[in-house]
Amino acid sequence: MARLANLETEYPVLDSTVRNFCASHGIFSVEDFLIHDLYMLAAFAEQNDSSERLKEGIAQVLSIIDDMHQPWLNGMELLEDAKRNKHVFPTGIQGIDLLLGDGIRVGQLTELVGPSSSGKTQVCLRTASNVARNHMVLYLDTGNSFSPQRIAYFLGKTISPSSAQAKNQFLQKVMSNISCHSVFDIFAMFDVLHQLESYLRCQDGRGGCQMRLLIVDSISSLISPVLGSSSTLGRALMTSAGYLLKKLAHQHNLAVLIINHTVGGEGGSSKPALGDSWKCIPHSRLFLSCDRGSNTYNVSILRHPSMASGKAARFVI
Amino acid sequence: MGSHAKAWLVEDESAREMLDRVLTERPFLLLPPLHRVPLRVGNVVELAGPSSSSKTHILIQAAITCILPKLWKGVSYGGLGHSAMFIDLDCRFDVLRFSELLNHRIMEAANGSSSKVGCHQKDSEAQFARMKPYNEELFALCMKRFLYIRCYDSSEFLATLKTLHYRLQKEREVHGVNVHLLLIDRKSWHLQNVSEAVVQEIRRLLLVHPMLVMATKAVVLGNKYSTNELTWNYRKWSAVDNPYSRNITSDQQLPYREYMPAAWQSFVTHRILVRATDDDLVNGEHQNNSIYLLEWLLPPLNSLDKFTVRDTGVFILS
Repeated sequence: MARLANLETEYPVLDSTVRNFCASHGIFSVEDFLIHDLYMLAAFAEQNDSSERLKEGIAQVLSIIDDMHQPWLNGMELLEDAKRNKHVFPTGIQGIDLLLGDGIRVGQLTELVGPSSSGKTQVCLRTASNVARNHMVLYLDTGNSFSPQRIAYFLGKTISPSSAQAKNQFLQKVMSNISCHSVFDIFAMFDVLHQLESYLRCQDGRGGCQMRLLIVDSISSLISPVLGSSSTLGRALMTSAGYLLKKLAHQHNLAVLIINHTVGGEGGSSKPALGDSWKCIPHSRLFLSCDRGSNTYNVSILRHPSMASGKAARFVI
Repeated sequence: MGSHAKAWLVEDESAREMLDRVLTERPFLLLPPLHRVPLRVGNVVELAGPSSSSKTHILIQAAITCILPKLWKGVSYGGLGHSAMFIDLDCRFDVLRFSELLNHRIMEAANGSSSKVGCHQKDSEAQFARMKPYNEELFALCMKRFLYIRCYDSSEFLATLKTLHYRLQKEREVHGVNVHLLLIDRKSWHLQNVSEAVVQEIRRLLLVHPMLVMATKAVVLGNKYSTNELTWNYRKWSAVDNPYSRNITSDQQLPYREYMPAAWQSFVTHRILVRATDDDLVNGEHQNNSIYLLEWLLPPLNSLDKFTVRDTGVFILS
């Protein structure tokens, strides 16, 4: 965080008298101000000789602090933003779309949980192929499971028969909307997400093709290696990853789809990995499983903001 | 000298007058499902419960009761007519669901009053059509009284609290209405000095702007006889030396492990535990609403309230 000395060029009120006074109370940066009691500080400033300057300095820092948080919104503004920006994207899979009531929502984290080969990556690829027709998609791949052939197959199924050249052009256009990055550890993911954040900050407001879908396949393979040790670093990394994804989803109007594995729970049943602290981070959680020997998959709602949990459906990919 | 002494003995107001005054300025709030204990501004209520146990829903219910007016264009809505502030640390608030609930409450109150008058079928339909623009105006009025902010980390939260005083003053000037409810969703920071700073800021704020504070907290419920209890007992022994933890008296058996630091624990005046049961209330053809249990831990009441969540809000079962 900004040291007070570095802020002097921008805010000449924070000169050396103010800084010395603050230093005498153990305050060297704006963050220290957050933890200290400002009323006591103002009372001390009152007793000082140059109380006016000190009080101006404190007021200036307060206005800097005011910029450090998100803006306050009232209910109508929130509702307008939700109606204007937070659309719903169909996944392209009928069973899931019917279950969720139209699809996955922009601004929310949807988590797909399931044992291995329960169709999670397939659902992601299908959703990516659906959304990429009109918007950009970012696919973060941790296990080399991204398959352009599969996406081409999904697109080929839905396109109306036309000339091979038109088909090719369409395929080119849609495929160029999907960018795939391989990340193999959590720090690489943070890197990519921060770059994405700066990119989106420039892009927002400009017209044209906007990014609307972010897929992380799978987040459990990034977080599980750091979890489980006796230190709390793993849990802190997991929570900050979750909040970063939520921030990206809400502020830049992305729908985020994350994949999680299952681990053994009590009584032999399987439960989602990453533990209880992760449980509250995604907005919706869907449990996928596959019927042995057939092509049908089951999906049930573990948690959803507006649907009752326990509702289930079947689908075919 | 004598007259001075006598002046001390003259009463300012009788006890009844004082009670009248206090009850009008700081009325008791009975918010279902927290209706067993009347709450007043200045109280700090902590709602604890495992995840997805409708804690946020109770907060939203309280917010809607707060922002609805008591009486508007002849219809009684039973609200407080004040603003409510919601600090979302969980970043999971769904404004569409909030507006649905508000609409349902408005329509329920409007329908309730029209059916009381006892009109015929077509009369009530015409009245409903006439009420629609009123409903939208009322809806907009209420939504404008609901203030919301998201905090993605603890420094944003502290920054919000530090500048809240000026924000509240501004609100008072603009709307002429006081903020009466401060809702904090999910307190889960772990740094000692951050939580002390937070408690200090909220305490200062409550001195100048009396509000009812409701905060949610996610806990993990252990089985009564599981290892959680052992670690809790161990903490009780070591609490004597450790200045940072609080001596929880043995009659205040908490069924979950308390992880909030002492500063916050002593700040809270009321504690509630909510959890979901496995029973479902089969309500109609396809509506399966889960039943939740609510238990008052502070002040400890020996009753368990059952409630369920419906479109119009919380519905008490017993």
